[in-house]
Amino acid sequence: MLEQPLELILKKELLVSKKIIGAGLLISMSFFASANTNVYERNCIPCHRYQPASLEKLFMEYLKTYSGELSLKGALKGFLQNPTEKNSLMNDKFIENFSVKDKTILDEKKLDEALDTYWELYNVKNKLK
Amino acid sequence: MLVSKNKGTNLLRSSEKSSLVRFLALYIVLVTILLLLLGIFYYQSQEKLMFAEQRTTLSNHANTQVKALKHLHYEFPNSTTYPRDGKFYSAIYDIEGKKVFSTLKNRDINFEKEIYRTGDSIHFLKSLDDYYLGAKYLFIEVQEDLSWRDETIRNIITFGTLTLIVLGIFGFFFMKIFLRPMKNSIMLLDDFIKDTTHELNTPISAILANIEMMDMSTITQKNQKKLSRINIAAKTVSHLYQDLTYLTLNHNRVTKDEWIDLKQLFQDRVDYFAILAGSKKINFELDLKEATLFIDGVKIARVMDNLISNAIKYNKRNGNIFIVLRKNYLSIQDTGIGIESDKPMEIFERYTRFNTSEGGFGIGLNIVKSIIEEYKLEIGVESIVNVGTTIRIDFKKGTSSE
Repeated sequence: MLEQPLELILKKELLVSKKIIGAGLLISMSFFASANTNVYERNCIPCHRYQPASLEKLFMEYLKTYSGELSLKGALKGFLQNPTEKNSLMNDKFIENFSVKDKTILDEKKLDEALDTYWELYNVKNKLK
Repeated sequence: MLVSKNKGTNLLRSSEKSSLVRFLALYIVLVTILLLLLGIFYYQSQEKLMFAEQRTTLSNHANTQVKALKHLHYEFPNSTTYPRDGKFYSAIYDIEGKKVFSTLKNRDINFEKEIYRTGDSIHFLKSLDDYYLGAKYLFIEVQEDLSWRDETIRNIITFGTLTLIVLGIFGFFFMKIFLRPMKNSIMLLDDFIKDTTHELNTPISAILANIEMMDMSTITQKNQKKLSRINIAAKTVSHLYQDLTYLTLNHNRVTKDEWIDLKQLFQDRVDYFAILAGSKKINFELDLKEATLFIDGVKIARVMDNLISNAIKYNKRNGNIFIVLRKNYLSIQDTGIGIESDKPMEIFERYTRFNTSEGGFGIGLNIVKSIIEEYKLEIGVESIVNVGTTIRIDFKKGTSSE
């Protein structure tokens, strides 16, 4: 084995150190990013991003059906905890194509937190002028 | 039975007038309450009519607003401007009664009524089937046209007043019809008294004149006592005759007012009644000061005679009569049976007597009252049962020598 010049060895070590630091930075950044997003953004948006009906349109549909904050949240919570064709607001064709969603994996507290965020984000009261 | 009317008796007694006034007052109050109730019903029916007329217009406004809300719902959030209309104001509330948005001028809303008045506005409530923008309740507000209210109130006042006047006139005539039998009875009694009065004068005068002319020295003491009793009885009848004459024939007499020496008059009348008082062993105690009154002599004599004769009639045996005369008043107090405290002034009504234990027509004090009222004097009665009665007459300034 040929002895490597000292200069080359130092360069390699420097490169390894940079990679380690870079990886560390990436891990830290993803950690902090995760800490700053809420339950709603982490658990709702990722799936619904690819759904044909946006979360905003769904909210308006729920608002049209349940009217008030408490009744809307109550109905939505009931559906998320026990989704069935019967208590879904989606039409038959949609359900036929995409089926009813899976039961939520969020516990009650997190589900309430997500619903609060959802309400605050889309309710119309403070937006009408 | 037909009863002839005459000037002296066709006047209503004060109790009749009082009954008439009370009946009419009660009748008017009841009729007014009835008319007020009818007015309230009429007002409410007019209000319902107005609401019925408004309901159609407001319902159309509500439908227009629902369409606009639906459009906005599906455009949201690209469009966020709440729909407005120049003809009305509106507000939407969610199923929990929380306001979503409002342009109402009057924020006093009611979820229980479909249409109602609030302030000078009318609110119409529509409950939505689809909750566009979360709206379960839609309120439509328009300014109230108050012309119907002015017209309704004007009608109530006009027709109410006319009806009240007509019913008041009917009531007055009905009352007259109801009182007629009672009035006829009184007039019959008055006429009877008047007719019999004429027949009393000559025999009484003859009896009294002959008693005065008798030579007492030739009569035995036993007969003197009998004669005294005849004298008392004749004077009693004479006193009654004087009252009846005054009552029935006074209107034919010309009143002659003059300054009357009351002290002298009292002494004369006390002397006149001395024999009558003596029969019940009643003692007079006089405290008379000089006093004069500008009055008809016959009338003031009737007042004094009636007060003194009543004080004797209703006194106890061995009782006292205290007569006080001052410049501005006179009072006669007896120690008799008294009058029940709740009706002392009723003794002045004609045919009302202190009680039925004594005879009489109950006209004496009515004569007193009529003279007192004619000369605007003031009379007061204080009485305690079984202790006595005091009648006081206060003289009006200018009519006495005060």
